[in-house]
Amino acid sequence: MNIINQFLLNVKHFSGLLLPITVAVVWEFMSRQGDAYTYIFVPLSQIYSGFVELIQSGELLINLVATLQTTVIGLVIGGFAGLFVGGLMAVSPLANKLIGPLYHTLRQVPLLGLIPLIALWFGNDLFSKILIVSLAAFYPIVLNTFEGMRGVEHKYVEVASVLKFNRLQLLIHVLLPAATPSIMTGLMHALAFAWVSTVGSELLFSTGPGVGGLMLMAQESSRMDIVIVAVVSIGLTGLLMNASLSHLRQYLLRWRSVR
Amino acid sequence: MKKIRDLANSLHTNALFFVSPILLLLAWAWVCSAGIFPEQILVSPAGVYQTAHELWGSGELQSHLHDSLYRLVLGFAIGVLLGMVFGVLMGLFKPIDAFFAPSFNALRQVPTIAFIPMLVMIFGVEETFKIVVVAKAAFFPITMATYDAVKGIPRSYFEVSKVYQLSHFSLVRHVILPATVPPILTGLRLALGRSWMVLVAAELIAADSGIGQMMEMGRQMFRIDIVLVGVLVTGLIGFLLDRSLRSVETHLGRWQQS
Repeated sequence: MNIINQFLLNVKHFSGLLLPITVAVVWEFMSRQGDAYTYIFVPLSQIYSGFVELIQSGELLINLVATLQTTVIGLVIGGFAGLFVGGLMAVSPLANKLIGPLYHTLRQVPLLGLIPLIALWFGNDLFSKILIVSLAAFYPIVLNTFEGMRGVEHKYVEVASVLKFNRLQLLIHVLLPAATPSIMTGLMHALAFAWVSTVGSELLFSTGPGVGGLMLMAQESSRMDIVIVAVVSIGLTGLLMNASLSHLRQYLLRWRSVR
Repeated sequence: MKKIRDLANSLHTNALFFVSPILLLLAWAWVCSAGIFPEQILVSPAGVYQTAHELWGSGELQSHLHDSLYRLVLGFAIGVLLGMVFGVLMGLFKPIDAFFAPSFNALRQVPTIAFIPMLVMIFGVEETFKIVVVAKAAFFPITMATYDAVKGIPRSYFEVSKVYQLSHFSLVRHVILPATVPPILTGLRLALGRSWMVLVAAELIAADSGIGQMMEMGRQMFRIDIVLVGVLVTGLIGFLLDRSLRSVETHLGRWQQS
């Protein structure tokens, strides 16, 4: 009786693994149904050897690093620009009224829809990719910086005015620290958008190194194993970046009393 | 007197609202008329309007719009339906949750766009692929929203309805629906925006019709005016989709404020 209970408990514990295992088994089964099936259902062993091949030739690493680089550069440029514009909009009501509507109008265009335009204007190289990624990071940071600074408790601003802070001092000593939680939230969004648009722009520009380009090449030569390895590494890298950023966020916000 | 001041105030703010877009438009027109960039690089606003008019007159724009919106609606409907069913099941039944959650969360990490090459290999570049892409883009946020909404119903609501001996119908009608609809609607809005973006990207990559394909064709023929019309139309549609769901949200959520 005890053993059965133990078993059931174990099943309950590992039931999350059942689905992936089932899929893998069915996948492997389908891959042995003939050549017509192996086109999509690549044998698991081949996915593994594709992975080893990509690692040994260094292709996976080179392309991943290139993609990461684009994301990070875009995130930094878009992040600082967004911080600046969002802060400006929060400090100056005039700037808010002038920039706000423009911001909300331009934001409506799906980012990847801008790619044909940017390709015509700036060509197909790295600059265009970074432009798209920066824009992707820019939008959420502006919004969260602005809202974070707007949401500052009024008494802090009053103290600042008692201390006769000028606008710059107000910004640096009051608004920016108070808005940090919101800005970090914006940064998390920005990272996700930047990552998606990096991969998307690599698929659409299809020049230069990058995981997107790697996938496109694999698709053209019908190498499903490489496509799968690329998709998995995109997912894992995104997860890893997300996790490290949320650690950074916790570290930066450690002063905040936990609600 | 106060009314007049209010009116003047609102005119003032509303006028300011249009200042920057109009300035941008004027700057654009001025740069064009000054001839700083050649016509192939920057088409004047009038030129873009002209092209839009021609595309509309020939029925080309409508047919692209029709194809894109058809894909969006069909794919989105499939994604929403599956996502809601899945979200409710995972939210209500622990074993189902435990069974699917790890796989679901792993798949959720991969951006939809990254699946495009794989989906092209499986489904080809025809209609099916685009509808699957849209459905996939919608499925994950909606499942998440539904799951959170169902999980978020306080246990006390069920206890109260038990005390009042509510029938199953009124439990659903008066407790479960009002508690879950607002968060699900927010999920729908997010999902719709993402689906639209992913669809446009998919059409840019592989399509023989649709707004994305129109832009891609414009890019290949160096017709910047067509590309700009496409950008404006995609932006407008994204805006209208978002705005309409937002108004549904405020309409259905109006009891929350009062």
